[in-house]
Amino acid sequence: MRNYLRLVWAIARKDLLVEFRTHERLTAMGAFVVLIGILFNFSIDSALVRPQDIAAALIWMTIIFGGMLGLGRTFRLEQEDAALSGILQSPIPIAALYLGKVVGNFILLSVMVALVFVVFGAFFSLRFSGSPLTLVGVVALGVLGFVSLTTFFSAMATRSSMGESLLPVLVFPLLVPVVVYGTTATDRLFIGRPIAEVSGNLRMLAAFAILFTVACAWLFRFVIEE
Amino acid sequence: MSQKQIRWAVGVLGALGVATVIVLHWMVFFWVPTESTMGVVQRIFYIHVPAWWIAFLGFGLVALCSAVYLWLGDERLDRAAVAGAEAGMIFTTIGLLTGPLWGRVAWGTWWEWEPRLTLALLLWFIYLGYFLVRRSTANPEQGKRLAAVVGVIGVLDIPLIHVSVTWLRSLHPEAVILSASNPMNLDPSMGATIGVGLLAFTLVFASLFLARYAVATYEHELDLRDATPAGTQGAEAG
Repeated sequence: MRNYLRLVWAIARKDLLVEFRTHERLTAMGAFVVLIGILFNFSIDSALVRPQDIAAALIWMTIIFGGMLGLGRTFRLEQEDAALSGILQSPIPIAALYLGKVVGNFILLSVMVALVFVVFGAFFSLRFSGSPLTLVGVVALGVLGFVSLTTFFSAMATRSSMGESLLPVLVFPLLVPVVVYGTTATDRLFIGRPIAEVSGNLRMLAAFAILFTVACAWLFRFVIEE
Repeated sequence: MSQKQIRWAVGVLGALGVATVIVLHWMVFFWVPTESTMGVVQRIFYIHVPAWWIAFLGFGLVALCSAVYLWLGDERLDRAAVAGAEAGMIFTTIGLLTGPLWGRVAWGTWWEWEPRLTLALLLWFIYLGYFLVRRSTANPEQGKRLAAVVGVIGVLDIPLIHVSVTWLRSLHPEAVILSASNPMNLDPSMGATIGVGLLAFTLVFASLFLARYAVATYEHELDLRDATPAGTQGAEAG
């Protein structure tokens, strides 16, 4: 088990190291977050709608669209350099390769999510009066479910001639539970509703994340093998 | 089952299916009494409800055949999965078109973001992904494998449909026919019409399924013929 986790971390570390040196995905996602915040600001008529009332929806949409931007390129480097065959020939289990990619993407997306909250908090003058720890739990579970699915389908998209354009068609229909439970929980926590009101959402987000992480890890070999 | 037998079954099931669909329409328009609460518009249920049952049957087949295909790699299972997906998608489309027609009168709107309706629409898109993935790879074998994976992941969404129905407030009419508290509490003539609808759509589905399966088999044989060098074919013929 320990050895398995070491292999998972080796893959995640490699991806994070490449990202740390190139800043490719983080730069794109970071710029997207700030720019979409600006566009959202000008797209809302504040005389009719209070931005605070729809902040949770805007935040989750930004996480998903920004995340797709970065996660869609998860296997690009391996694809371009034909390095995937090398990784597949190495003695690493295929599920560990997938889980490593998920861990790397989760850390990467966590940085982006932190930026989303800072930017939207500043742009829309958001006041948070709920439990911060519960909010972290909601966002972490939602992001984990999102990452596990998008990483999986990103590998599928690299195998397809449609490439990244296939990703939204495959991922968006499956993401509805994350959007429903993530947004409603975030909304309630923003206005300081009790934690008991979002405990159901937390359970559903956890179930979603576990279900798709396990299923995708098991099915990954059918996607990645030539 | 040989190709000749399949063609024969397609013809018989198709003819029976069309005949039963005609009988169903006669029953819907002239025989079954009008429901007291919803009025005439309720008659669309005799098409809508069987369409959804068959749609889910089709997608169940896709999931089952896809999972076993990934496990055993038997080509026939892939053909059955794609046949189930195409036929299932036709009935999902019928369900999605007849639902809003009823909703326009009953709810006063063409579309309502009601959980079952929404996730049914999403299911349609999941299987659109199934077909896109299948056709977008250079290697057809890989396309089949990826589509099977989408089929399996897609069906995992069905329990989430159920859970979201429980959690979110639903505008969708409660299930009457399979209601646990009051099973089969329909007027006998309504039950008979639903039964004929179910039979009609099952026959049409079976015919479409077998027809598509036969086409997939022919495609496979053509692929094999194309892949075989001409000299080998001549030697085999000789």
